[in-house]
Amino acid sequence: MLPEEVLLGTLNEQYPCRELQIRQLFALYSPYLPSPPAIVVHGLEATGKSSIVKSVLDTSKVPHAIINSRECITGRHLLERTVTSCLDAIDESSEDKVDRRPYSRCENISALAIHLQRLLDGRERFVLVFDGIDRQREAPPTLLPALARFGEIIPNLSIIFIISVPRPRFLHATGVPFINFPAYTKDESIQILSKSPPQIFLEPPEDSPEYTEEQAEEDNAWVWTRFLTAVWDALAKGAARDILSFRAVADKIWRPFVAPIVDGTFGTRDFSRLMVAKRALFQSEDVLLERVVPRTEETTTSAVSKGNYCFLSQFTHDLPYYSKYLLCAAYLASYNPARQDSIYFMKASERKRRKKGGGTAAGRAGRGAKHRKIPRNLLAPSPFPLDRLLAIFHAIVPHSITPTADIYTQITTLSSIRLLVRAGPAGSDVLDPGCKWRVNFGWDYVATLGRSVGFEIAEYLAGGAE
Amino acid sequence: MEHQKCYVFAQPTLDERAAKRRRVSDTLTPTSWSLREDVYRRVWSQQQQRIQATVEDADLTTLENLVSFVSEATVDHHRREASISSGLIVVGPSIASHGFFFDRLGQKVTAATNATFLILTSGECPNLKTLLRNLIRKATSKLDDVDEPEDRNGNVSRTGPKLLDYDLVLLQEWYSKTQTDKVIVAVQDSEAFDAALLVEMIELFSSWLNRIPFVLLFGVATSSESFQDRLPGTALRRLRGETFNVKQANEILEKIFCATIDGPGVSLRLGPNLSRRLLERQKDHIQSVQAFSDALKYAHMSHFYANPLSIFLSQSLEFDQVPSDVFRALRNLPSFRRWAESLLDKGCARKVRRLLDSDQYLYDNTIENIKSSQMVILSLVSATSVLVAIRNCIPRTPYVPRSTLYVRATSGELDGSPIIRETLLMIRKASSDLLYQMLEALSTLKECHLPIDIGAYQKELDSLVKETTNETPLRSQHDVRNNTLRTTVVAQKVELSKQRSTLSEQDTAYSGLVGRFHDDIENYFTSTLILPQSLVLSEILLYDLKSPHSETFTPRPRFVIERSLSSPHDYLDCSCCLNSETGKDSESMLSPTQPATAILYQLYLESGSLVNVSDLWSAFNAIVGEEDDEAEPTTMSLFQRALAELKFLGLLKSSRKKSDHVAKMMWKGL
Repeated sequence: MLPEEVLLGTLNEQYPCRELQIRQLFALYSPYLPSPPAIVVHGLEATGKSSIVKSVLDTSKVPHAIINSRECITGRHLLERTVTSCLDAIDESSEDKVDRRPYSRCENISALAIHLQRLLDGRERFVLVFDGIDRQREAPPTLLPALARFGEIIPNLSIIFIISVPRPRFLHATGVPFINFPAYTKDESIQILSKSPPQIFLEPPEDSPEYTEEQAEEDNAWVWTRFLTAVWDALAKGAARDILSFRAVADKIWRPFVAPIVDGTFGTRDFSRLMVAKRALFQSEDVLLERVVPRTEETTTSAVSKGNYCFLSQFTHDLPYYSKYLLCAAYLASYNPARQDSIYFMKASERKRRKKGGGTAAGRAGRGAKHRKIPRNLLAPSPFPLDRLLAIFHAIVPHSITPTADIYTQITTLSSIRLLVRAGPAGSDVLDPGCKWRVNFGWDYVATLGRSVGFEIAEYLAGGAE
Repeated sequence: MEHQKCYVFAQPTLDERAAKRRRVSDTLTPTSWSLREDVYRRVWSQQQQRIQATVEDADLTTLENLVSFVSEATVDHHRREASISSGLIVVGPSIASHGFFFDRLGQKVTAATNATFLILTSGECPNLKTLLRNLIRKATSKLDDVDEPEDRNGNVSRTGPKLLDYDLVLLQEWYSKTQTDKVIVAVQDSEAFDAALLVEMIELFSSWLNRIPFVLLFGVATSSESFQDRLPGTALRRLRGETFNVKQANEILEKIFCATIDGPGVSLRLGPNLSRRLLERQKDHIQSVQAFSDALKYAHMSHFYANPLSIFLSQSLEFDQVPSDVFRALRNLPSFRRWAESLLDKGCARKVRRLLDSDQYLYDNTIENIKSSQMVILSLVSATSVLVAIRNCIPRTPYVPRSTLYVRATSGELDGSPIIRETLLMIRKASSDLLYQMLEALSTLKECHLPIDIGAYQKELDSLVKETTNETPLRSQHDVRNNTLRTTVVAQKVELSKQRSTLSEQDTAYSGLVGRFHDDIENYFTSTLILPQSLVLSEILLYDLKSPHSETFTPRPRFVIERSLSSPHDYLDCSCCLNSETGKDSESMLSPTQPATAILYQLYLESGSLVNVSDLWSAFNAIVGEEDDEAEPTTMSLFQRALAELKFLGLLKSSRKKSDHVAKMMWKGL
């Protein structure tokens, strides 16, 4: 039994804080003990399910195949991949090659059962791992219950389902063992991440030649562990609890955090002063937002100073003049109630419509307290027919224009860059005049857009601009 | 009507020909067509080359940045969750140009690096399966291997399970066979893609990243921020990259416009009205280089194909090639008439007589006049570039694009306009360093044939500057800093008076220099900025017809349908619909002679959003129907057909809100 203990030890070294699960899996899939026909391994994202299952199976040298549902586009694809992976795994574990000709097609789950039966007939135990099977695209409804029963038909097959959250009785079978991978706690997360501290000094400091590598490593670990605790308490506790996003957040602010140490303002052990100096990093929640383009220092500061409008300043490409008016009209059509259109847009009642919200002052004062409504601009945009958009467009454009095909072309362009989207069923006919549209942008965007053509949209908006 | 969307209209065979006047004789067929077509091809191919060169030049830096980004992109295998290097290319809101940009990018990338470039568009990718199928097909079809099909057939029997055509294993097999080091997937119109599809694609690619090195490029029409807002954090975490901005459409357009008017090689230029309209359309409606180029091509085509006189733009024209009716047309040109009259005023009656009598003499004169007029127009065009160059040197002047200046110059508004006066004033006030910059800018201008000796001015200025001892630049006498305001209080009134401070010797000399330069520039502008329409034969050199363009490029489909239904007389021009009492068109007059659909449409216009069909029928019957009840079935069939036609046009829809009512779908005049 000693070699097993050694193997367990290395696994525990590799995956800390998972002793119980590793021991359970190792017992179930040990080379000397029989395995259950099906087990469920479940746990949230980034809790080490897939890696640990893979490592345990690799270590115990049981022939196995792992099918990642993320890479399977359809249910059929999953079945085909299963057959191929099983063939590959068996080819690898035994000397003689399997004749692959009978396995050329696998249309449905019954075919898979037959194929596996034939393939595993007279062989040793075989483990099949379905990773993320609960996220399978286009899965047939009987997929999971059927797979759970494979063990009954094929005695030497054992299946592991790796899923995130099991629904009750989703396998329609009893007696299936479950192994839970709970989310890492704060201490566990910090313990795991502190195993690989990043460097403070990317290149060794020039002025202190006696600063050895061991000292540097010690300092790295010392600062990194304290830094992790601070990051967890400030940011990750609320918004990045799983180990991957915790690591990502910590990585993102590590370099700006240690910058004062690198340039020599603080020593490596001045952690509390460093924290005070760099507290802004932990206060702004900017770092929690994922972006494709990493933010540099300047853009971060400018974003803070300009607030929400920062993305508009980067709006380099200008829309054509009438496209802007069309978007303003679409916003008004989405957020103004249709019955108030005559108040806001009829040229005849020019004087009346200046009153925000329309109606008389007496009427509003009496009812205001009783009916508290959510402001419209906080609600989702409501759909409108195209003719209403065009009517509002003609009302707000400062001069009269002839409706040429150019206007309709612009509407098409705007809808293909998804500033206007079609509401209602996806397959409906665009040319149908009953087809409704919706805007796909917010108040900030349209206000800036309107101002760029000298159109103050708040004057026409029911309830004004909040 | 109900069950088919369209039907083939079989024309009834008529025994007689329609009573339509037909042109039988072929006498007016222009004999110079082939010649004009040759000229057109030559002129247009030159213009097209200019446009192409400008476009390529404008995108060059962006493309080079992208190529270097792609070639440097590496997969980081050390991280557990590897991220895909991805570029967000902000291409701008004109979708038409996206395709061209990505095509050029593909050519550049495949030429410069060892990567495979695959473009995906939203049209061909409705779901993940089709997306992958397309991707794999595009990649594997690029393989030059001839024995590939056999190999794959062999594959099937050897390995057993056949791969589905959307399995990325196919791509992996292909990748291992080729020498490609990266697979670049360019999503051309990322906005049009479903966000969920993009997320699935990104997830799939990132899980395959350890086997196939993907690089993603997204074409973004709005902004990179709005692209990132659409995707969830889990997908964004798998992407790392940069943003690339393509040059704005209006900047490129300005350059293209200048390229098409600049230079002595341009033989046909757009007139002020047409250019103004084209530029406005670009600003107001569409921003697309392609549309502008198309409009320009159309202008060239209509000039050369519809105007026989354009034959004179041919460079190798012989007298024998010109048909005689062209000369007749030439003599009827307004500018020719003006010229003849001015010749008569000068007393050159003999010359006019010869011009009218002798084709050969007219031909020689025309060739000569075209050359001289072309030179005048060219100097007009270069005057605008001089103006732009001077204004660029002066700080705090509002930027006026050269296209606007060209439009104003060709319509004769520029000479003596505020902008010229302001610029001349600025020159007069300019200090020596500013003047130095101006001279520098003017000396670098190519092909503008300035009649001013810039070199002499530069030398003189250099010697003046060397003589001065102090650091400050020399000032002209008109500089405001040489004036001081003197305030005097006389009888409780404040009087302001300007006083000129005394000038140093160098400043006086410099003032003389600036004054001469100012006078030279002023003379240059007054001599070049003339009204080009007043030139002899300007009709051949300038194309300025608006209506062909407005009819071709900006049709009004909805307006036309509404007008034909509401006032059918405009189209039918029949005598029955003419109002006999007033003699005018019977607009908004309902008469039973009008087509039934038109009558019903006009009744429809008067109703609210829900129309009672019974009311509609009684109104219709009152107009069309006759007294006796026997005719009612006929009227009813007319009514029903008209109603069906309105429904077919999408104007009506059956409504569930109220029984016996139909819903009105379209309002007139939108």
